[in-house]
Amino acid sequence: MILLPCPHCGKRNSNEFSYLGESAPRPTETGDAKLWRAYLYTKENPAGWTRETWLHSGGCGKAFLAERHSVTNEVRATWLPGRKEPDTTTEAGS
Amino acid sequence: MPTSTRKGPASVPDPIATAMLARSPVRQSKPLRQEAGWEVSSADTGAALELADLTPITKVLVRASSSAVGSSFSDFGRARRDEAGHLVVGARPDEWIVFGKAGSAAATISQIEERLAGAEGLVTLVDVTHRDVVFLLSGTDARGVLEKICAIDLSDRTSPDGTAFRSRVAGVSCLVVREDRDGRPAYLIDADRSYGQYLFDVLVDAGAEFSVEVAGYTEVF
Ligand SMILES: [Zn+2]
Repeated sequence: MILLPCPHCGKRNSNEFSYLGESAPRPTETGDAKLWRAYLYTKENPAGWTRETWLHSGGCGKAFLAERHSVTNEVRATWLPGRKEPDTTTEAGS
Repeated sequence: MPTSTRKGPASVPDPIATAMLARSPVRQSKPLRQEAGWEVSSADTGAALELADLTPITKVLVRASSSAVGSSFSDFGRARRDEAGHLVVGARPDEWIVFGKAGSAAATISQIEERLAGAEGLVTLVDVTHRDVVFLLSGTDARGVLEKICAIDLSDRTSPDGTAFRSRVAGVSCLVVREDRDGRPAYLIDADRSYGQYLFDVLVDAGAEFSVEVAGYTEVF
């Protein structure tokens, strides 16, 4: 069982969640088609730390952000959209 | 244009007349009786571990910000009775479900409206009685049954009496509320109506090793 910590519900079985993809800053309304195309279709897909959006569809039904290592599956931070992002840059393991 | 000719009995039951009785999606064991316009089972088991279909109970969904509702409702992840005997469940961070006596939806809604009259922001109340099924699994081994099909830690330390959570039970997204009865663990399991028969069958199957018996409708509110 892989556990994912939901900011609302705590650690839950990963099969309760839906993966909504890598998260990146949304282009402003004036952003041109190129920016929107990159935002929608171009993903980094790194072998390492990645910032993602997850939906706790089988639980509280809320979306949150997570920093996950795509090789080890370690999750070092989860937080709610609009909240202050945790500073993980100085932590070991990056 | 060719048309088909209906064969068989000339008279079909009047759909309006028969639709007046509400039914749970779960097959009811005999003998049957009626409860607040629902067809329910009146089977009596007296077993130490029972599973009952309580689908007729009133279910009112409340959506609001937790700051608007304030302390008049239970916290997210907790369930408690209010003065009127309703079970108020903090189902999501901004959503509550209020369970009450079968056939009391209108009265329940007006009581909630009264209580939330001073709340700031938008509050949504919806009668979801016919949207969901609710089962009651009660008895000493109720936890043992649920542990087989739900990945939540149900120990007294993390999930004591009064705990509520949403999680998957046998793959189905459910709201589970622990409200002990007569000193024995009891869980109310609320799920989408369309999963009703499947979920009921899985619970009976999981409970077989603990000798679970299917009980009729019992009044818990
Ligand atoms: Zn959650």
